[in-house]
Amino acid sequence: MVYIAMATGFLLILIGFYGALTNRNLLRMIVAFSIADTGINLVIISVGYLPGRTAPILDTTVTAAAAAARIIDPVPQALVLTAIVIGVGVTALMLAYTLKLYEKKRTLDIAKFTELKW
Amino acid sequence: MTGKNMIKRLLALLLLASIGAMFASLLLAYVPDTDLNFTARYYAEHTAADIGAANIVTAIIVTYRGLDTLGEVTVLFLASGIVGLVLSFGRKQNTTLRNLVPVGELLTTASQYLAPIIMLLGVYVFVNGHLTPGGGFQGGAIIASGMLLLLLSDPLKRFSHTLIATVESFSGVGYIALGLVGLVLAGGFLDSRILPNGVLGELISAGAIPLIYSLIGLKVGAEFSSMLTSLSETEDL
Amino acid sequence: MVSALYILIAALGAAFFLGFLKDGMRATAYALTLAALVFMNFISAGWVWVFVVDGAAPVEILTSGFPPPFAINLRMGLTEAALTLLVNLSGLLSALYLKDVLLALGRRSMAVLLIAVMALCGIILTRDIFNLFVFFELAAIATAGLILLSEDKRALSAGFKYMIVAQAISVLLLIGIIFSYHATGTLNIDGMAEASTELKTGASIAFFLMFIAVVAELKPFPANGWALDIYESAHPAFSAIFSAASGAAFLFAADKLLHIGGAAWFPLATGIGIVTFVAANLLALPQTNDRRLLGYSSIAQTGLVLAVLGQQDILGDRYLFVAGGLLFAHSIAKAGLYWLSGLIAGRELPDWAALRSRPLLIFAFVTFIAMLSGLPPFPGFYAKWELARLLAGEGRIALLALILFGALLEAGYLFRWFGYIIKREQPAQRVACTPHKLAPVIAAVVAGWALGYLWGDLSGHANLLLAVPLLFALSFLLLEWLPAWIKNTLAIAGMVAFFVLTYAEYDPLRLIFSVIILIGGPIIFLASYHEHGRRIGFYPAAMLMYAGLTLLIRANDSFGFFAAWEMLTVGSYFLILRGKHSEPHALSYIIFSLGGAFMILAGFALAAQGAPQFDLASLSLLTQPLAPWVFILLALGFMTKTAAIGLHIWLPGAHGEAETDVSPMVSGILLKAGLFGLIVLLMTMGKQQLYGIELTHVLLWIGALSALLGNLMAIFEEDAKRLLAYSSIGQMGYAVFGLALMNHLGWLMALMFVINHYIYKSMLFLSAGGVAKRTGTRDMYRMGGLITLMPLSFIATLIGIIAVSGVPPLSGFGGRWIFYNAILSSDVRLPMVILFFAGPIAFLYLFRLIHTIFLGQLKDEHRKLKEAPFWIILPQMIFVVLLLVFAVAPGLALRRVDTYLNQFFPEGGLNWAGTTISSNYGYWNPVAIMITVCVIFGSLFAWLLFVNRKAQKVKQFNIVFAGERPYRPETTHFAWNFFAPYRKALGFMVQPFVTRFWSGLTDLLHAAADLSRRLYNGNGQTYAFHFIAFVVVVYFLWTGV
Repeated sequence: MVYIAMATGFLLILIGFYGALTNRNLLRMIVAFSIADTGINLVIISVGYLPGRTAPILDTTVTAAAAAARIIDPVPQALVLTAIVIGVGVTALMLAYTLKLYEKKRTLDIAKFTELKW
Repeated sequence: MTGKNMIKRLLALLLLASIGAMFASLLLAYVPDTDLNFTARYYAEHTAADIGAANIVTAIIVTYRGLDTLGEVTVLFLASGIVGLVLSFGRKQNTTLRNLVPVGELLTTASQYLAPIIMLLGVYVFVNGHLTPGGGFQGGAIIASGMLLLLLSDPLKRFSHTLIATVESFSGVGYIALGLVGLVLAGGFLDSRILPNGVLGELISAGAIPLIYSLIGLKVGAEFSSMLTSLSETEDL
Repeated sequence: MVSALYILIAALGAAFFLGFLKDGMRATAYALTLAALVFMNFISAGWVWVFVVDGAAPVEILTSGFPPPFAINLRMGLTEAALTLLVNLSGLLSALYLKDVLLALGRRSMAVLLIAVMALCGIILTRDIFNLFVFFELAAIATAGLILLSEDKRALSAGFKYMIVAQAISVLLLIGIIFSYHATGTLNIDGMAEASTELKTGASIAFFLMFIAVVAELKPFPANGWALDIYESAHPAFSAIFSAASGAAFLFAADKLLHIGGAAWFPLATGIGIVTFVAANLLALPQTNDRRLLGYSSIAQTGLVLAVLGQQDILGDRYLFVAGGLLFAHSIAKAGLYWLSGLIAGRELPDWAALRSRPLLIFAFVTFIAMLSGLPPFPGFYAKWELARLLAGEGRIALLALILFGALLEAGYLFRWFGYIIKREQPAQRVACTPHKLAPVIAAVVAGWALGYLWGDLSGHANLLLAVPLLFALSFLLLEWLPAWIKNTLAIAGMVAFFVLTYAEYDPLRLIFSVIILIGGPIIFLASYHEHGRRIGFYPAAMLMYAGLTLLIRANDSFGFFAAWEMLTVGSYFLILRGKHSEPHALSYIIFSLGGAFMILAGFALAAQGAPQFDLASLSLLTQPLAPWVFILLALGFMTKTAAIGLHIWLPGAHGEAETDVSPMVSGILLKAGLFGLIVLLMTMGKQQLYGIELTHVLLWIGALSALLGNLMAIFEEDAKRLLAYSSIGQMGYAVFGLALMNHLGWLMALMFVINHYIYKSMLFLSAGGVAKRTGTRDMYRMGGLITLMPLSFIATLIGIIAVSGVPPLSGFGGRWIFYNAILSSDVRLPMVILFFAGPIAFLYLFRLIHTIFLGQLKDEHRKLKEAPFWIILPQMIFVVLLLVFAVAPGLALRRVDTYLNQFFPEGGLNWAGTTISSNYGYWNPVAIMITVCVIFGSLFAWLLFVNRKAQKVKQFNIVFAGERPYRPETTHFAWNFFAPYRKALGFMVQPFVTRFWSGLTDLLHAAADLSRRLYNGNGQTYAFHFIAFVVVVYFLWTGV
């Protein structure tokens, strides 16, 4: 179960990278990175997963005293939230940039934005 | 497919195969823990007593690793600020009104009813962040999705930038102020134990977490809304 | 002290609070921004104070009231305090610089700037790996935002390219972090460092991914195209932050990761760092855009510090001193240069000539490039010295060689740029100076000098900024507003006074050099009275050279010697650059000189074997197998200054094109520095063998060939000053030969050459310069018949060439006499024969000086010429007297040296009885010779006067053309290509092979750089490819190793 999630996460990252490396369209590159971000998030939470345990929320079934034996690692869960939020921020920023780049050259082809080089 | 493109794809595959090999060895060497490591164990054993939050993840996010969360909020603040900057970058003062395809009756009517409910749900989610899955970020995102719905139903709608900015600043400054109170009254910056822990599982419990998370919710909602309005106000391309 | 947390709180609070302000209240918002930045600086500075002055221990700062690893903790120690101060200061100054832009763009831009500074401080302060990631992302996003402050529309695509790479970086970083967390059960950096047995192995992919991601932010070669595009297009004030502050913060992050990974990962950091350093400096060579060039240089310097991070195992307690010295020198200089670039309208390097209208800004520029090149007295110099010492001590020679090679490349393009500023045409658009843009530049200059002082204090050596000669030289910077003649008087008085105060401290050998420098220098300065106006830039440069020379002969340890060497090199470079057409020559001079200096540095570092102090005298204690290598390095270094054949190509241009009073300084005095170095070297190390080859024997050959070829090249020269310059190559060859003989008389002869060469070469350069001033040309064939118009110059030249050629009665003969004695007592025959041949060749070119300039037919346009100016003639006349005195009484100078040399070469000394000097092979009585020659010459002259008393003056139009009367003056005095037949016969020997070799080498470097920089094709996707490929290649190289 963990391995499947983790392998899927890695695969998503690779797919995302492949997309980002081979699509010249700016929007497609952003989508590709979003896929990679999703993969990352999947990998992060799968690292915190312990087989046979439950979510780290205390209630009547998971009491504070028994928590250590019953819950999964809460740390990756906290980390993944940060990772998601940062991913959203960066994606928004890239979209805004893309909009402006398109406005300037009326194209989304990244190979057309090479006035800075060497 | 041209030859150059072909080479590019092959090269990408080759490189990614290597990265994949690294990932694979990480994966193959991975052995799930059978027991919580000492950090996680500490959280599991002490959260209830220390913080009084039923949702341990929330306790970590808001209190234990509060600085990360402040950073996260700042990321959104920064992103929305820069989106605004980018879109004003070399902007022409062009105010011709856009002729848009009319949005359907269904969307207009539904959004009028749905938007308030969505926003309410958002508030509910962040107020209960310390008890149930969810919290400021999720709640904020839900609020912003209500805004999105309103924008979709009436693309020419203009939200008050001043209002959004005020909410943004109020929640941000409030968040930091609460953190400072923690520094003065409790154990350190962003310490949520400035209010009594209360009874585990009740709405008014877990010290200042509900307060902080509400501010975060407002802040996140405001940032997302700010980004959405900035984007929607750009000229049609 | 205020908790470091308030740095973060103040920035964030202000950034959030800005939203309350209405868009119209931009001035208030700007004031708030500045106030927050000032407060942040106050905190950092306070902590620096606490750590430095009170010696406090580092402070752990807990957040949210729980100890690590359960909550995030920060740390404030000396390093953190210094680095946050650097970040905050560059933020504050850039904010000041950006006033117009920030006010135009409004509060959002100010918030982004505040958060950028905050994020960099966070990177420095945090001790939690995931928190580090959060600050990383904040810094990255803020960077993408601040790029937009630029007016350059291309900045937009640069920002996008950066975000592409940043995305890929953060993916790898997150994977690394989460798996490292899994391996160690903690996110705390120190906790990970303790728990990370698995991460420390060097095979851990998790750590590798984390590390490579952090390193990628340091713009490693070749995954750094995005950074170059940012540097080129972003606002210079942002580039200042990006280069100085971001670089520092990310380097500290890399250091934290190395703390986790441990020593197994050090080689990786060093490898990536050094490759980046050399490659970026190489690729910078063909750059013409100023900001992109600075970008390459930034990347290179960051790479160097990364390499140093990987050497922390051998740097020990000097780690912070070295890494900090390099980092601060780079940061301050780079920030200053970027701020300067905002004052320049054009983006090509020669556009910086606009700075010429502002001497203060030129001083700032010089300060910055000196800091970047690691010249004294700046922190980079001390750091470089320590680094070289420790690397050589551990036998990491290859790394040291690469570092020095890269540094030489960097100095090359920086000084080339400086040449453009001083020599190229000023663009129409002037420097745009507003106080808020000038203030940051000045602040950087002040910081640079202050840190220079601090590093000098910490160096464990004498603080260079407390050395009296250097202070005296620097004080001329403050006196620039005075007219030249006052400064000249001050310079002369200062040097003479210093000599009077210190002459008792020198041994006889050093006394000779000190007289030449401190008394000989002022004599040449007399000629400088001729110059009017303020002569901006001349005195600081000249005095820096003299300060270096003085400190050189006063140095006891290798550090002092090397520091003095670099000072005199830089000072003389500025002097030489003043010549009208000397831009390329000054450049080749500084490159050769710095190359030589680096060899000296390497030689001393190797010799010291890690010891912090190394006395020059201890060179004699070195043994095989080290000794010959030290010998070779040092000898090569010194011979770049004596312009030994092969390393000579800079000399003719540098000496020939220099100003009238500068040529004698750099020829008569400066060349002696190289000889002094060789003397110290040979005196201590003596004969050394390498693979059975006697190294002094090699020196003999070099000396002989220099003498022969230098003289040969001189005879084919048309330019009077260049002729003299080539002649110096030959003369130095003689001196090197004499030293390399390694016997008493050889050394005496070399010292004789030291004195003689100073006198007659200074004199000849002055008279050639005086003549050139009057005639407006240095080409000898355009002159002729000047004897009647410029009799004093003629006398000086005549006496000079008699002395040079070594015929009786002048002191040149004494030199020859000792020389013949010396080689009779030596057993090297072939180089001796070569040297004999060189003698008559000297006659050929010396003859031309008299024949072509002063004899023959006066050119028509020269009929109204006057004698050279008084102040140029005066020192020549002094030299004439000196030569005569020295000719009659050589014992005045040499006798004590002769005795002194007995302790090194007890055998073969001279016998000084009365006026007669005798050796094993014969005797020499200078007084008798002088009398004999004078009597013969006097009687012949009297007879000539007697027989010619009724002679009638004949003009050209009278009978020269026999029956054919010319209607206009015609040249009958042909002097161009005078030695054409010899050129036919010997021309093959003076083909510019050496010049071709060196220019071929530089062309090759340029071509290679120009080709490889096409790697950066400007496509963001290609840059992503570069990054992924970088990760993969490094991984395979690393695991393969």
